[in-house]
Amino acid sequence: MSEFDAIVVGAGPAGSSSAIKLASSGLNVLLVERADPPGSKNVSGGILWGNELAQIIPDWEKNAPLERYVLSKGTGLLTEDSLISIDFRSKKFEKNKTGYSVLRAKFDQFLANKAKASGATLVTGVTVDRVAVKDKKIIGVEQDGDVITSDVVILAEGANPRVAIDSGLRKPIGDRDVAIGIKEVIRLPEATINERFNLRGSQGYAGEYVLGFLPGGVKAGGFLYTNKDTISIGAVVNSADLRANNSTYSYNIMEQFVTHPFIAPYIEGGKVEEYSAHLVCEGGIRSVPKLSGDGYMIAGDSASLSFSNGLVIQGMNYAITSGIAAAETAIAAKSRNNYSADSLKSYDEKLASKYVLEDMKTFKGIEGVTWSNLMHKAVPKMAENIFFDLFYETGQPKRHLYEILLESTAGSGMTKSQLILEAYRAARRM
Amino acid sequence: MVLWHGPTPRVAMESSTSSGDIVALKMIVMMKQVPDAEEIFIDPVKYTLNRSQARGIINPSDENALEAALKIKEKEGGDITVISMGPPQAESAIIECMGRGADRGILITDRVFAAADTYATSLTLAAAVKKIGDFDIIFAGESTTDSGTGHVGPGVAEFLGIDQVTYTVDSRIESGMLTAERELEDGIEVVSTKPPVLVTVLINSNLPRRSRLRLKVDAIRKGVEKWDHDTLSLPVDWVGLKGSPTLVGALKIPEERKRESRPVKLEEIPALVDELVKKGIIKIGDDA
Repeated sequence: MSEFDAIVVGAGPAGSSSAIKLASSGLNVLLVERADPPGSKNVSGGILWGNELAQIIPDWEKNAPLERYVLSKGTGLLTEDSLISIDFRSKKFEKNKTGYSVLRAKFDQFLANKAKASGATLVTGVTVDRVAVKDKKIIGVEQDGDVITSDVVILAEGANPRVAIDSGLRKPIGDRDVAIGIKEVIRLPEATINERFNLRGSQGYAGEYVLGFLPGGVKAGGFLYTNKDTISIGAVVNSADLRANNSTYSYNIMEQFVTHPFIAPYIEGGKVEEYSAHLVCEGGIRSVPKLSGDGYMIAGDSASLSFSNGLVIQGMNYAITSGIAAAETAIAAKSRNNYSADSLKSYDEKLASKYVLEDMKTFKGIEGVTWSNLMHKAVPKMAENIFFDLFYETGQPKRHLYEILLESTAGSGMTKSQLILEAYRAARRM
Repeated sequence: MVLWHGPTPRVAMESSTSSGDIVALKMIVMMKQVPDAEEIFIDPVKYTLNRSQARGIINPSDENALEAALKIKEKEGGDITVISMGPPQAESAIIECMGRGADRGILITDRVFAAADTYATSLTLAAAVKKIGDFDIIFAGESTTDSGTGHVGPGVAEFLGIDQVTYTVDSRIESGMLTAERELEDGIEVVSTKPPVLVTVLINSNLPRRSRLRLKVDAIRKGVEKWDHDTLSLPVDWVGLKGSPTLVGALKIPEERKRESRPVKLEEIPALVDELVKKGIIKIGDDA
């Protein structure tokens, strides 16, 4: 007889969602989180996309600590001198809210407290060492030599899943699986933020940028999200590139981004309140490990369930969906009293039938595009050349766009055949 | 379990032998939850401390006090009760102490205790110790990071009328006596005394252990007892703001004076020195 029906490791969106579902279905669940309070070790951007939380917290839009809703979604290319951007803002987002900026220190606490209120036993400030194994079956978790038993263990540890790795349930994280994320939270008066981003009330801006101005071979992206009275700004740097370019440091890239002439004015006069760094899942479907087995399931970032196509970065919605799916699987397994790999296999099936694995399969290989030289080196420079030529009055006769386009490829640093090949790949994968 | 052979006048506990004077060592740790000093900032307008965003932690020297008690428990056996006075959210700090090995947690919480100074706090805690009943050693941190008076430990000892050993960096049980090392300005003083005794422990005097999942799960199941002024049979006038003789007259942050600088030529120096003397900023005399 196990002490708990389920032990959930990690009280982020995946773990807490799972625990809420399990506990409110009457299961005896232990939720363990190394941070005290939950969320204090987190470095998410972060925009929460979608409405997944409604499944477990119907009134979440009213009660969760949300900062602003995304009215305006920006995508931009930055070169040394220029910013080429699309700012899509729509009244449609006002009616159908699709994304909210959140500060995870508050948000994760809210979710963990919901789990506690639903009846889960929440333990914070303790790091689980590994899963406990007996007769080749996972029987709970191990910490400091003690074993706490449960029928099933749900690992939702985030992007650096030490328990899963140390227990041999997934391969160690490699350069291709993760990027390095750096984030600052900068305090500014609410009115200043509204003015700078052309927003009102709880309207918000979420922007992602290709940092096309970086010298050498390092590729990185930037993000900028508005909160109520802070701005979350950060860079996501390719870890394989960093390893290959010893003289480049991620914090310098972050500095170059926040001091860029067309980014710096957004945060001018603000006070840096947080500075943090963390791994970011960027490996796509290729990084996803075996999702379940005898007595365990892996959810959220621990299972590399995240999505990024250069236009949008999503992780929390995948985490919540997978956390709930793991809980549903555990609930069904309990009713059958069967926690074997076969019984838990329905977790994989659930994810495959939801958008989580569907998206990741559809966009298989997308990380090859988002981290391609085409996106980071050629496209920003070409775009700059095209727009500059289009709008700059030289006193000469005007030329066709096609001619400008052809010419701009010359300054991109890639040969024409490389460009065509990469552009074809990108078009196929996006 | 090794039993306590001290010359204590305590009555025998459940673990006692027929002789009636051998009982398990009973320790009490006094702990306060304080805001994490790293997360406190000064309000730029009101000049008050803004604690709203600071998470609650165990007062650092109280962690050392608990560790001192746990080390003795490991060697001699016995049990540890953690008591804390504070708002309901201080419960999490008590659970953390139990996660490290304390056996019982009591939160002394009541709106009427609010705004107590060190006198009223000591009185309230002493009343709680009396209610607990028998004890051998009370451990307390030397002072808290959010007020820093160092009054409360000694205050409790005074109200209880027991010995106290302050500023300790190490303590142990030696043939029924508590032997403690006090870190003083000119060296270490080794003191031995008969329990019951109150010991205050210096910050960084030991390495506090981390909590264990097993013990924390058990602690949550066991729960934290909550005592109010009724439980302690304390008149309302004796506690909280009413029971506090301390009056804070004013709290000011001195204004920073702007300083100016400019390069000067060598020959200007005598005139500048004269000016400083005239303004009374410096003095030149025979004894200088």
